[in-house]
Amino acid sequence: MSEILLSGRGVTKKFRGLTAIDDVSFDIPHGAIYGLIGPNGAGKSTLFNLITGYHPLTSGSITFRGKVLGNMPIYRRNQLGLARAFQIAKPFPALTLAENVRVGAMFGRPGDKNVERTTQEALDVTGIAHLAQRRAGELTVGDLRKLEIARAVATRPVLLLADEPCAGLNPTETEEMVRCLRAVRDAGTTVWLVEHDMKAVTNICDRIIVIDAGKKLAEGTPHEVVNNKEVIAAYLGTPAADLPAHTP
Amino acid sequence: MNRLVILLLTAVAAVLVAVLPMLVGPYYIRVLQIFFFSAGLGVAWNILGGYAGYWSFGHTVSIGIGAFTAAWLGMIFGAGSGPWSMVLPVIAGALLSGLFALVIAYPLLRLRGTYFAIAMLGVSQVVAELVNNVSIFQGGIGVFLPSPVPSGMPVERFYYYIFAVVLSLLLLISWWVKRSRFGYALLAIREDEDTAMMLGVPTERYKMAAFVLSAVMVGLLGAIYGYSLGYFTTYSVFRLDWSLNMIVFCLIGGIGTLMGPVIGAALILFLTQVLLGGFLDLHLMITGALVVAVILIMPGGILRTRWRLPGRKPARGGAE
Amino acid sequence: MTLFLQTTLNGLMLGGIYALAAVGFSLIFGVIGIVNLTHGVFVIAGAYLALLFYTELGLDPLLSMLPVGALLFAVGWVYQRTIIDWAISRASVEASLVVTFGMAMILRNLLQLWFGPDVQTITPFYSFFSISLGPFRVDMVRLVALGSSMVLLLGLTLLLARTHFGRAMRAVAQQPLAAALSGLNVKRIHAMTFGVSAALAGASGAIIGIVQPFSAASEVAWTLNAFMVVVLGGVGSPAGALVGGLLLGLINSYTAQYFGPALTQAAMFLVLVLMLLLRPTGLLGNPYGESR
Repeated sequence: MSEILLSGRGVTKKFRGLTAIDDVSFDIPHGAIYGLIGPNGAGKSTLFNLITGYHPLTSGSITFRGKVLGNMPIYRRNQLGLARAFQIAKPFPALTLAENVRVGAMFGRPGDKNVERTTQEALDVTGIAHLAQRRAGELTVGDLRKLEIARAVATRPVLLLADEPCAGLNPTETEEMVRCLRAVRDAGTTVWLVEHDMKAVTNICDRIIVIDAGKKLAEGTPHEVVNNKEVIAAYLGTPAADLPAHTP
Repeated sequence: MNRLVILLLTAVAAVLVAVLPMLVGPYYIRVLQIFFFSAGLGVAWNILGGYAGYWSFGHTVSIGIGAFTAAWLGMIFGAGSGPWSMVLPVIAGALLSGLFALVIAYPLLRLRGTYFAIAMLGVSQVVAELVNNVSIFQGGIGVFLPSPVPSGMPVERFYYYIFAVVLSLLLLISWWVKRSRFGYALLAIREDEDTAMMLGVPTERYKMAAFVLSAVMVGLLGAIYGYSLGYFTTYSVFRLDWSLNMIVFCLIGGIGTLMGPVIGAALILFLTQVLLGGFLDLHLMITGALVVAVILIMPGGILRTRWRLPGRKPARGGAE
Repeated sequence: MTLFLQTTLNGLMLGGIYALAAVGFSLIFGVIGIVNLTHGVFVIAGAYLALLFYTELGLDPLLSMLPVGALLFAVGWVYQRTIIDWAISRASVEASLVVTFGMAMILRNLLQLWFGPDVQTITPFYSFFSISLGPFRVDMVRLVALGSSMVLLLGLTLLLARTHFGRAMRAVAQQPLAAALSGLNVKRIHAMTFGVSAALAGASGAIIGIVQPFSAASEVAWTLNAFMVVVLGGVGSPAGALVGGLLLGLINSYTAQYFGPALTQAAMFLVLVLMLLLRPTGLLGNPYGESR
């Protein structure tokens, strides 16, 4: 956990005068599972959008694997090893699961790779191999989430940004998703996830970054963050003991 | 279907196409020639509209550019005769059509859905108008192409074979595209362009490639079609109903499938040329009515239709 | 200088007609979210009907706007309740677009069979009058055309702003589901919108008939014109259609005067593409939100 994979310096985004992200800096080292939490509207998804290139920065800079991202096109960022799983799953509905994942395996980070093997591995690690020949339009929410992760993993990312991978899942599915993200990390991919489910977050993350109203509030181990007074005041508004165990 | 069956079927089809002109009369050879041409148009449109999901409502512009380029070349450099004389003009027609597509691709492919479709309709109108009204293009008075048909060979048989070969070539290209990385990129673009980008697909580049490839294919067909007409004016090649026909063939047969456009073209031409051959005045109406009927009855086309059972209508639009 | 001003004047007068011919298209696009490629046929059908009324009954085209509008209102209503409604409940947006394209072909073919392929004009007694205003010359027909267009556009504005139907239509455009839940009959409003749109297209056709030659084949041009007006001015409002129409008229007029009439379509289209790239919501934006 020494090499810094992704770092942001003074990252700021304004939408027509409204500051959505305000001077946020971060360093994500190689090999960890990082968490990003904050109340609704804190700017978590916006921050991910800035990193993946959906919006240009107003000021500040983001560096990934030693390269300043600037206005690098979205697909180039992925080819560099940056993948994103969306909060609202965006499958290719008319294609089968295998085909969905194969798109990621065919493109994504270049290098010598076997498309079929990469596809199979991604299906296996997310536990949806048995659904490979089904059309994506027919899946349940839980399986769609897994497909979202599988497709991102198939691009062989160095860093996976997962936007609320557990939202809308039942406890069993959440459990599976946590196991799946661990497996992805163990296979060598750094993971940074936004999550509402505190149990999942504290359970899985090595370190957590907290943002509120576009500003960075705290960073530390789950234990530190949960006991941080500012975090409790701003984000939870309640004593730590009343932490919601599960937010559907 | 396994490989052997497909190979066998292809071989049988090839033999059939080769010997058919010996068996049927000139009228049917001509109908088949139009069929090969039309199916080719559908196959070409399908690359952009079916695979990549960019529905062009103005693809006839490439027929026009292809045909006129061939004629202009003939006029400038003097036309030879014999089948080989058409090689260069036809290739030039295909290439210029592709070049034109390349030029307009950058702005137009930024538009999506309806806007792209109508912008293409506009392109075809504007180019037709320019070819017709700007005198150096000679679209208003018309242009000539010398007949490349070898002496002694019936005209319809000559074009029958040429269009058959070209259709096979286009099908081969389409087949290759569909199973290649290129094809996967196009499918991803059709399904969700933003997500495709997120998965590392350079969408701009692939869209442009599909657009240009499709235009080259239509330009090729257009140039040969120009030869088969011999003399033509603007509106014999810039025909709005063809823009519609290309879409219709794909819709009827199954959009985004390899053989869908061919099946669709076969069906439409059987209807319009064979069954209703006498009602030339009504062709526009028949085509229009078919489109409307097909979309309302089987939105997926023949190859994709799961026949709608009562009570299994997709829930859309709310309660009555 | 005189030439420039005269050209401007001609462009503005032409633009008024463009605006009227496009406003119905804009309404349907804004309220229902459908690009109606049959729109140009409604315009041309209006012109043919006005011609029929004029030759058979001697009815002045300006007066025949009323019966023509009423007839086309009925056509538009029925069209929405049948074909359009079926199409949007079953097919994708693109496929619905193809349905209207197909319908345009059918109707165009019908017009051709009925009235023949020749180019027609309507020539009432005031066709050849013109007024001199200092150094400028204004054709009577164009002035009359512009005047009637303005009156109709104003009428539509009042309809949208003041009546129950107008408010209902705006509600349906913004929040179809909420509108339906609060008791509005969305289907009826969609049908009304199509009816009004077709009626206005027909009325504009009656005017176009006295100003310009027309044939069944010119329907495409009028559909494209309407699309360009909407892109230039913004979707769904009479004011947007007016701005877009006047702009289109000016572009047309200047191009014809200074670059040659062969290039007008090309110039209009060039502006359209630039506009789509630079400001996709049009100059006045979309009053019904940007989601479309």
